[in-house]
Amino acid sequence: MGDHVFRSQQDEQPNQLRLLIMLHNIGATESSKALTIQQISEWTRMEPPELQVHLQKLSELGYVQSFRSEETDKYHLTTDGIRKVLSLYS
Amino acid sequence: MKVGTLTWEYPPRVVGGIARHCEGLGKALVQQGHDVHLFTLDFPGSPLYEEMDGIKVYRASTELGHPNFLTWVLLFNHFLSKRMADVTKTVDFDVMHVHDWLAAFSGISFKHYMKKPMVLTMHSTEVGRAQGLHSPDSFSINGIEWWATYEADIVIVCSQSMKTEICDHFNLPKEKVEVIPNAIDVTKYQISVDRGAVRQRYGVGWGEKLILCVGRLVPQKGVEYFIRAIPAIARRYPEAKYVIVGEGWSRDILETEARASGHASKIRFTGFASDKDVIELMSSADVLVVPSIYEPFGIVALEGMATGVPVVASKVDGLAEVIEHDRTGIFVYPRSPESIAWGIDKVLSNPDHAKWLTENAKETLQKSYSWEAVAMKTVEVYKKVVK
Repeated sequence: MGDHVFRSQQDEQPNQLRLLIMLHNIGATESSKALTIQQISEWTRMEPPELQVHLQKLSELGYVQSFRSEETDKYHLTTDGIRKVLSLYS
Repeated sequence: MKVGTLTWEYPPRVVGGIARHCEGLGKALVQQGHDVHLFTLDFPGSPLYEEMDGIKVYRASTELGHPNFLTWVLLFNHFLSKRMADVTKTVDFDVMHVHDWLAAFSGISFKHYMKKPMVLTMHSTEVGRAQGLHSPDSFSINGIEWWATYEADIVIVCSQSMKTEICDHFNLPKEKVEVIPNAIDVTKYQISVDRGAVRQRYGVGWGEKLILCVGRLVPQKGVEYFIRAIPAIARRYPEAKYVIVGEGWSRDILETEARASGHASKIRFTGFASDKDVIELMSSADVLVVPSIYEPFGIVALEGMATGVPVVASKVDGLAEVIEHDRTGIFVYPRSPESIAWGIDKVLSNPDHAKWLTENAKETLQKSYSWEAVAMKTVEVYKKVVK
């Protein structure tokens, strides 16, 4: 992948938007499909501390929602977050 | 006729105009006695099956995800195909109507496995949306769009400009492409609105102008040129307020642009708004701006015309076919803040002329853009392909 001359559309977005897109595409789109930071890190290959910062910002913007379950925080997209991602490709 | 419809968005999963198009067409087909089964993706809070206005809506749950967008598209098409395969055990469709490339994989599979015709509506193209093919994803999407147009028995587009675009870009024979314009349900937009209360809700006081822009916040909608026009508008109308409705990936960039304009306190980004909120806002605004740089049709202009707000729009693509300059709206040059400011001033400076424009617009709308007419034309297309 590293030899590609062009970058993909996802890579051209700032990290937060890129994370939002990946959360959407891996299916974290409602509370029953919410994921922990560890799970998101495995999917996205982003480090948990960096993820924490981005998820906090995305929560403040209303694109991500979190809740506590079994002593850990879980994250999923809000409907506004879903619409923001889908606007990329429609 | 038993019609299968495939679309990646359907209310309440509303992204752009495709959801509303499928809803309007589907309802009109049902009213004309056709049996419409619609396959789409799930959305939080929506059931996997329901009947909406007579349309049987099947939602596929994407049980497997992947961070890569195109892989995710392949995955959801797989789950859409499974959902369709279940339904085809009991329903013998006459035709499958696919909307845009996103659902093309499922539609093409259906065509070959069920030996049934496939009609494709191309609402836009990747080369138009992205203003070129600048990334590997864009090249892939462009290729899938070509494949879908190749496989379709007939391709429907919503404007002559779109027909020219796809015939040239995909080397399609002209006789394979039918133009059927978009439409709106006019009655939905003619509601009683307390303009004062709506304007107050959005921070617009008595005597202030409300200048509205509605659309997805993506580059093709040209919202940045509208924001760049604001300093010039503000010089002439210092009391004006600007409301930008919509969500999209370029929202952050546009908000930065708004802050840089020096008029951030007068500009409000609402994010995604419900149909009701959009109709109320349009009905309460002094002018609706549609500054798109690429617009295969421009249904938002029709929506504005239906609510009676004067429309100022870029003269591009489908918009150029929907609006008649200085009779049903005002055309401005695309990508030109100066021209946008000029168009807004033309409307705001002459309320009598603006009222005349809106009366003409409503008349045109009722004559030319009804879902009943669209459904009848679409059925003619179905009849051509059904053996």
